[in-house]
Amino acid sequence: MTFVTHRRSAVAVPTGPRRRSRLTGPTWSSLPYVAPALAFFAIFVIYPICVSVQTSFYNYDGLTVATFAGFSNYVNVFADSNLRAALGHSLLLLVFYAALPVCIGLLLAGAMSRIRIYGLTVFRALLFLPQILSSVVVAVAWRGMLASDGPVNWLLRHIGLGAFATSWLGNFNTALPSIGLIGTWVEYGLCMVLFLAGIVTIDRSLYEAARLDGAGPVREFFAITLPALRPQVSIALILTITFALRNFDLIWNTTRGGPGTSTTVPSLYVYLDAFQNRQLGQASALAVVLTIIILIVVAIVQVAVREPSAHPRRTRSLRRIQRDGSAR
Amino acid sequence: MRNTSTVRLTVLAVGAVATALVLSSCAAPGAGSARDAPAGSTISSKVSVADVQKLGKTTLKMWADQAEEPLMKDVVPAFEKTYPNVTVDITYKSFDDLVSTVVNAAASASAPDVFQGNIGYAVDGALVKAKLVRPLDDVAKVSGWNSGTGASTLDPAKWNAAGTTFGAGALYGMSPISEVQGIYYNKSKLGALGLQPPTTIAELETDLPTAEKAGMQPIMLGNSDQYAGTHIFSDIAVTDQTPAGIRAWIGGKSGSTFETSGNVKAADTMKVWAKAGYFGSGYDGLSNQDAIAKFAKGDGVFFVGGSWNGASLTSAEFGLSSLTSGGVGATASPWHISSKTNKTAAAIAWLDMLHTPTVGQEILDTGRLPVITDGVTSKDPLQEETLTALKETIAAGTQVGYYDWTTTDMLTVMGGGLQEVMAGRTSSEDFTKTVQAAWVKGHK
Repeated sequence: MTFVTHRRSAVAVPTGPRRRSRLTGPTWSSLPYVAPALAFFAIFVIYPICVSVQTSFYNYDGLTVATFAGFSNYVNVFADSNLRAALGHSLLLLVFYAALPVCIGLLLAGAMSRIRIYGLTVFRALLFLPQILSSVVVAVAWRGMLASDGPVNWLLRHIGLGAFATSWLGNFNTALPSIGLIGTWVEYGLCMVLFLAGIVTIDRSLYEAARLDGAGPVREFFAITLPALRPQVSIALILTITFALRNFDLIWNTTRGGPGTSTTVPSLYVYLDAFQNRQLGQASALAVVLTIIILIVVAIVQVAVREPSAHPRRTRSLRRIQRDGSAR
Repeated sequence: MRNTSTVRLTVLAVGAVATALVLSSCAAPGAGSARDAPAGSTISSKVSVADVQKLGKTTLKMWADQAEEPLMKDVVPAFEKTYPNVTVDITYKSFDDLVSTVVNAAASASAPDVFQGNIGYAVDGALVKAKLVRPLDDVAKVSGWNSGTGASTLDPAKWNAAGTTFGAGALYGMSPISEVQGIYYNKSKLGALGLQPPTTIAELETDLPTAEKAGMQPIMLGNSDQYAGTHIFSDIAVTDQTPAGIRAWIGGKSGSTFETSGNVKAADTMKVWAKAGYFGSGYDGLSNQDAIAKFAKGDGVFFVGGSWNGASLTSAEFGLSSLTSGGVGATASPWHISSKTNKTAAAIAWLDMLHTPTVGQEILDTGRLPVITDGVTSKDPLQEETLTALKETIAAGTQVGYYDWTTTDMLTVMGGGLQEVMAGRTSSEDFTKTVQAAWVKGHK
């Protein structure tokens, strides 16, 4: 608390050392120190991105000299009805890959932080396991689980729901949600671990104060845990949304976009255009558009989950609780 | 303060991006990699041991399909014994990896001397168009590939100079391995139903309801990879039209069309069979590999598929009927000689050795089908049936190759489209229209 107060005063009244360091030009003098990292970043991140952007304006098969194509690759991206459908599939996958894992993660983290469980570390590790597995392994395992004679249908038949048994990944209506649920299974562990780490940093006295004030577990969760986890929720959403929008390996290894085109996603077409159709320009244009879409969605999420006021995060919830407490 | 540092960062970032853009926009992608037609000399007589000897001690670098590994264990030692100055160094790739990377490897500075491609536009077409592979007409002539049982199997590796149509033109590759489509049947189930092995699609069609009524799954199909369905479609489609017409369409001959009554009828048949439950349920969620494993365990009466599936089946329980009416089937991935290699003599000697009856026998012994069938014998009944099916089908001249050779995206377009037809979500007419539209787009 004292630390925060000190910082706030420093911002309001700039002190000597602060000014001096600013005069010497912190950015340029520190450049040599960051130069190696910056060079690495420029060569392995910025340069490839620029090449992709450049390639997206050409018709290029990867072998012969490319011809300039103007914006035609971009026009194709937006004119292709298959691609629009694929984008629609991605939006549905967002629910399964981002929204559900965050909700499940919150639920589990909330429960785990409240109840003292013996062997908590073991549970945590087990629940996190899907995140560690290679996605090809995940895909192959779930292909078996969801097969028409797989364990999922076996279970359904044995609890009297045999009428619902189907070839989950081979059915036009169930393939996309099935893949979505695989994504949920992969991602919820990550969310849970992020949230558990966040919960540890919450001051326990807040919970005691809330309990003294007669708050139940639900009220406690929404009044203390959830607001304090705002930064973690934001990170979890960014990670899972990015995963959802660029997801390729799970789909390629389960359905290859089928049956028909019912599970196609934009990144699947990036792969097909680049490595199967040898239209690197088209693939690059689609990749660039996909990147921009991901950036926009992430920006929207950041704005939406952002703390309503500019105050440092923890202090605000702390102060609110204290204020609420003292008012009583 | 935060604002100024943000501004600085932005300036830095914009500067970095601008620099990189300038750097990368010096030339169009691919400029500088343009190459002249391969200069190499042609040969007028068979490459001799002495010719290869002239290369001195050398290593022949190759890329091959993982599936070739058992065969290569026989061929490589024999080759190195015949040509003692040559060491063979093969990099094996899974088929999927091979077809998606071999073109770039061939274009790279350290291209392998000899490598396998794949028939069709995605791989061989790109290789021919970019002049990355050496024409082999001279080799075919002096080595006698153009006569004998293997002659017609060379056609799919022949291309026009521009790399835009195949099936005729200059020869660019050679495959010693063949593939044939047929009807695998479960002997005991067929016996229980009192049926004879069907030898035509029409006979198969009359057997299907019998199997279905007896509570057995008539045809085992695994179509999640989207290609198995198109193979059965092809077998049905060819019964109602000339194989030459289908080959011309696959080869990209202008004016060809997929919107034929035969194709519409074949798509209708697939739909009817799917609806009647002849493929069982859940075939779209089952991979071909899983399907053949189930068939091998006794699920399903028939399995309509290519000879590569036979490796999982035992001759005691299963048999194969040839489909002389034709359908899919052709040679496996052809071998190419890099136009960049300076070890041409050794590379030609390698291809020459692959195209011999000795290697033909080894191919059969390692569970695959050789293009040279004269003098090749098998002790295994199922393998013998497969060899017979190949001989009969090649004699009938009804193999059409594979539909997905015709454009790079045809496997997805046709495979996915057929799934929609079989599920009753698209009409057969719309299916043929979509396929033709993709063909036109790919061949403009």
